[in-house]
Amino acid sequence: MNKTKKILILGGGQAAAYAAKEIRLIDKNSDITIISDEKYLPYEKPPLSKDYVLDKVTFDDLLFFSENFYKENNIKFKGSTKITKVDFDNKKISCSLNTYQYDRLLIATGCSNRHLKINGEIILPEENIIYLRSFEESNNLKNKINKANNITIIGGGFIGLEIASSALQKGKNVTILEKGEQLMGRVIPKQIANLILEKHESEGAKINLNTQIENIKKHNKTFKIYLNTNQVLTSDLIIIGVGSIPNTDIFNNTSLKVDNGIITDEFSATSIEDVYAAGDVSNFYHPFYKEHMRLESFKHAQNHGINAGKNIAGLQNSYNAIPWMWSDQFNLNLQLTGICNDYDSVAQRGSSLEEGIIYFFLKNRKIIGACGLGVGGKIGRDIRLAGKLSEKKTKVTNQLLSDKKNKLNKI
Amino acid sequence: MVIENENWQHVGETDNMDVEDILRFDHKDKTYCIYKLEDGFYATDGVCTHEAVHLEDGIVVDGEIECPMHQGIFNIKSGEAISPPACKDLKTYPIKVENDKVYIKIS
Repeated sequence: MNKTKKILILGGGQAAAYAAKEIRLIDKNSDITIISDEKYLPYEKPPLSKDYVLDKVTFDDLLFFSENFYKENNIKFKGSTKITKVDFDNKKISCSLNTYQYDRLLIATGCSNRHLKINGEIILPEENIIYLRSFEESNNLKNKINKANNITIIGGGFIGLEIASSALQKGKNVTILEKGEQLMGRVIPKQIANLILEKHESEGAKINLNTQIENIKKHNKTFKIYLNTNQVLTSDLIIIGVGSIPNTDIFNNTSLKVDNGIITDEFSATSIEDVYAAGDVSNFYHPFYKEHMRLESFKHAQNHGINAGKNIAGLQNSYNAIPWMWSDQFNLNLQLTGICNDYDSVAQRGSSLEEGIIYFFLKNRKIIGACGLGVGGKIGRDIRLAGKLSEKKTKVTNQLLSDKKNKLNKI
Repeated sequence: MVIENENWQHVGETDNMDVEDILRFDHKDKTYCIYKLEDGFYATDGVCTHEAVHLEDGIVVDGEIECPMHQGIFNIKSGEAISPPACKDLKTYPIKVENDKVYIKIS
């Protein structure tokens, strides 16, 4: 008789949950265990900066699957469990209380917040200095925003701007500090970043671009923030969102290949046999773009987890989804598909946020990426279709894309 | 002849819809979506169960409606929520076609 295959999943986020579900769909017999350092079952993170802070949802709304789902599918979930030792040679993972043997391992440990450094000094979270990643941090964030008056947000990326949007909707004074020359500069094109800047300013935010922090001093419960522009801000709450770092420290001193995340191929396989990685922690080979990339988004975490699950369960399934992500700020929905750099022309579709504005980025007459902003769901369909056109490498013209009379699904 | 007293509402003409088209229909204070698939017409609530966004702006792919805001996915025929962030099912409604006219039954 064959012995039951043991599949171990490290990390308890979206990629882990969807990988476990997919493995169970294909393989009814394997022993599947998820080990998570969080005490909660896998939950959605996008609302932590938005709808949860605005009291539009409760924690139960955020769970991907109920406790029953894990029971019915015989997926074991070990929460509040930290990994202490990794032994790839003997296929063993040690935690504080147990050691787990595996036949196949999925690493889906996600990312941690990058800590702000000022003059070499690391700014750690403390009372009234907040970073956001987990549900507990979101709870704390909500309570602190409710009590604060003057909030300074360090980092003009997605997290910072979404929290700014929530805090402004709660009537707070918000200042955003960004060291770059535009908001969301890592992935969002300037055209859309400028529209977001205008929206935040119209809602009352003060936005300082090209701004470095020289010092933060605390007097009683108030912070003085000294900027390179000689300005001094006074604030009772500081929220920091300056990027994330893949959680790979536990694999230091092992032979696992790590470079800005765990290096994987298009099948989620790492440099070590029977070890896979998925989601934010994975720097994966994308066969469409013919390069490695590491993505941090809801859709990617889910689909990459599903794809890793298929491969772990024995199917040979390549991952080649066109990247897609969103952010919601105020009543606006921002979406990005593909990759918006290395283009030779840009086409604009739509001229008002009410109907949605999309910029298409083209190279050799093919869409390589598109980014849009609009009220509610106004840009969704065309962004989705832009992703499909990009995938099919369909030749288009700027004029075709710019004229809203042309339906993109008819191209 | 269409029996109006059973709450069949005329929503449009068959000729005006291509396969995978979505038609929005507002009635009283509610919004509905009518879809044309390969094998006929179907109807669901017109607003996503995740956030209040009109599904008429979404996209139909392989018998599923994808929400335009966060790409939550529902099965058009059953209303089942099959991909998050959508987790609550969409309500579905009977549809019938008579003399090239499409009707939805709202009860």
